[in-house]
Amino acid sequence: MTNPSLMSVLNPEAQRTPATEGSGAGVQSWQMAPRPSSLDGKTVYLVNQGFGGSDLFMEQFQAWFAEHMPSVKTILKRKTGFIFRDDTTDLWKEIKANGDAVIFGVAG
Amino acid sequence: MKFGIPTAPLSTIAFQSVVQEDTEYFGVPLRFVYTPHPVVSMRPSVLRGYIEGKDAVTGRPLIEEVLEALTKPYTEDESKNLARVRPIPERPRLLEAGTEEKLLQLFVERGWTDGLPIVLPTEERVAKMLAGTRQPPDKLVGKAFMVDTQENLRITVETVAIAAVMAGARPEHLPVLLAIATTGQPAIQPSTLPFASGLLVNGPIRNEIGMNAGMGALGPYNLANAAIGRTWTLMSIVWGYARRKRTFWTSQGNNFTYNNLCMAENEERSVWEPFHVQKGHKREESVVSLFRGWNLLNSTGAAARRSWGEEVKLQMQALPALYSAATLILDPMLARHLKEYEGFQTPLEVGRWISENVKMTAQQFWTNDIIDMLVAPLAMSGVQPYAGWKQVPAETLIAPYHRPDKINILVVGGETSPLWKISDFDYTTTASIDKWR
Repeated sequence: MTNPSLMSVLNPEAQRTPATEGSGAGVQSWQMAPRPSSLDGKTVYLVNQGFGGSDLFMEQFQAWFAEHMPSVKTILKRKTGFIFRDDTTDLWKEIKANGDAVIFGVAG
Repeated sequence: MKFGIPTAPLSTIAFQSVVQEDTEYFGVPLRFVYTPHPVVSMRPSVLRGYIEGKDAVTGRPLIEEVLEALTKPYTEDESKNLARVRPIPERPRLLEAGTEEKLLQLFVERGWTDGLPIVLPTEERVAKMLAGTRQPPDKLVGKAFMVDTQENLRITVETVAIAAVMAGARPEHLPVLLAIATTGQPAIQPSTLPFASGLLVNGPIRNEIGMNAGMGALGPYNLANAAIGRTWTLMSIVWGYARRKRTFWTSQGNNFTYNNLCMAENEERSVWEPFHVQKGHKREESVVSLFRGWNLLNSTGAAARRSWGEEVKLQMQALPALYSAATLILDPMLARHLKEYEGFQTPLEVGRWISENVKMTAQQFWTNDIIDMLVAPLAMSGVQPYAGWKQVPAETLIAPYHRPDKINILVVGGETSPLWKISDFDYTTTASIDKWR
């Protein structure tokens, strides 16, 4: 016998379905870029992704390198393409040809 | 894309959960380093303090973390894929039965409200709501993408009907809500920015369901306007677009998201073609058009001592002019005045006038954060007129509303005053209501 004071209501959440596009599921391991043993004499690109203030942040990073690790050459760049998309190729090709490492950020 | 460049990615601590979600989905073992939050608007000395300070997660010196990320070899163990297939939890159609008081409390605890009381979606109430459409309850209406989990949501007719009941809508409102749901556009946009949305209903259904396009159309005086606008918000909240610090980071929020400027166009009193006809629909079609932006300025007077054009120029100079987008909501009395006394035969002619006459300096345009974030990349890649505007001296006057077709003119109001509202809302899409009747 049901309790007349109890109500039965529908679940308002939507049915979730798993995404698959771009998922790394099934990959055994990643071949991460080989690291240099140190940054001495290397060229580091300081890439801001375009969020407000990230350019100023990278300028401060450049000043820090100049003061504390002057042997590191730093180059300021802004990510090309749309801020929220993985659509940059020209800048990454430039860095691959002319640089050794990237510091990338920073949103918020 | 893989380029094989050693990289140290940085994020503020506010987005740690996003990094974790992405890592679980994509699986790439990136060595993220975390600064304090925020970066935007911080003085250079503060930013320098972030760099010389500690990683906001590990507590280690941030600079050490960055240098290590760039120079420490990845071990085999660290290179392991971190992606995991997350099981989709069961979604029972019915919640566990309870008293009305307990169920209402459950909806609050689960975050399934906009803060106001909701109507519990009992089977009986949802069944009555479903009478508002001929479509079967299990018919797929659309999908919605979740930015945190990368999952999709499967939205059915019944899913929408449940939200409609909760918001206090009536069955006759359901086709409008189903049309909105087909777009996949949430009322609440996942962002740190206080986005707002807008919706405009055109066509015969406006009058059939008793929407208010006249006096007080944008105020709390009409059930259809109120309930349709609120349902769109509840769809977003309940379906997952307002999970604090997961999909929702806006510091102050936006009051417009309570109702999303839900309005109908006053087609009967407008001297111009209705908005949906301008967009290629037939007058007898019922459609809903959606908008997205942030700001809405009211005309504070009737431009008695300053012309309408001068007043509009002042107001529109205060908005970012993102992608040339603007939406003006004019009282029918003002639309008639503009046509009869100022010669604007169509809304597009109003848009052309604005496009040619509203100007700001290049410096003002480019120093807006939104413009810098979203438009500067277009300038960098040579897209005109933005690339040209980057080259001119800072004090050069530019016409930022360069596309008259992006300036939307809506006619709404009750003709008690020739007033208007101006917003930076961009038109996003129009969806058919008739196919959901």
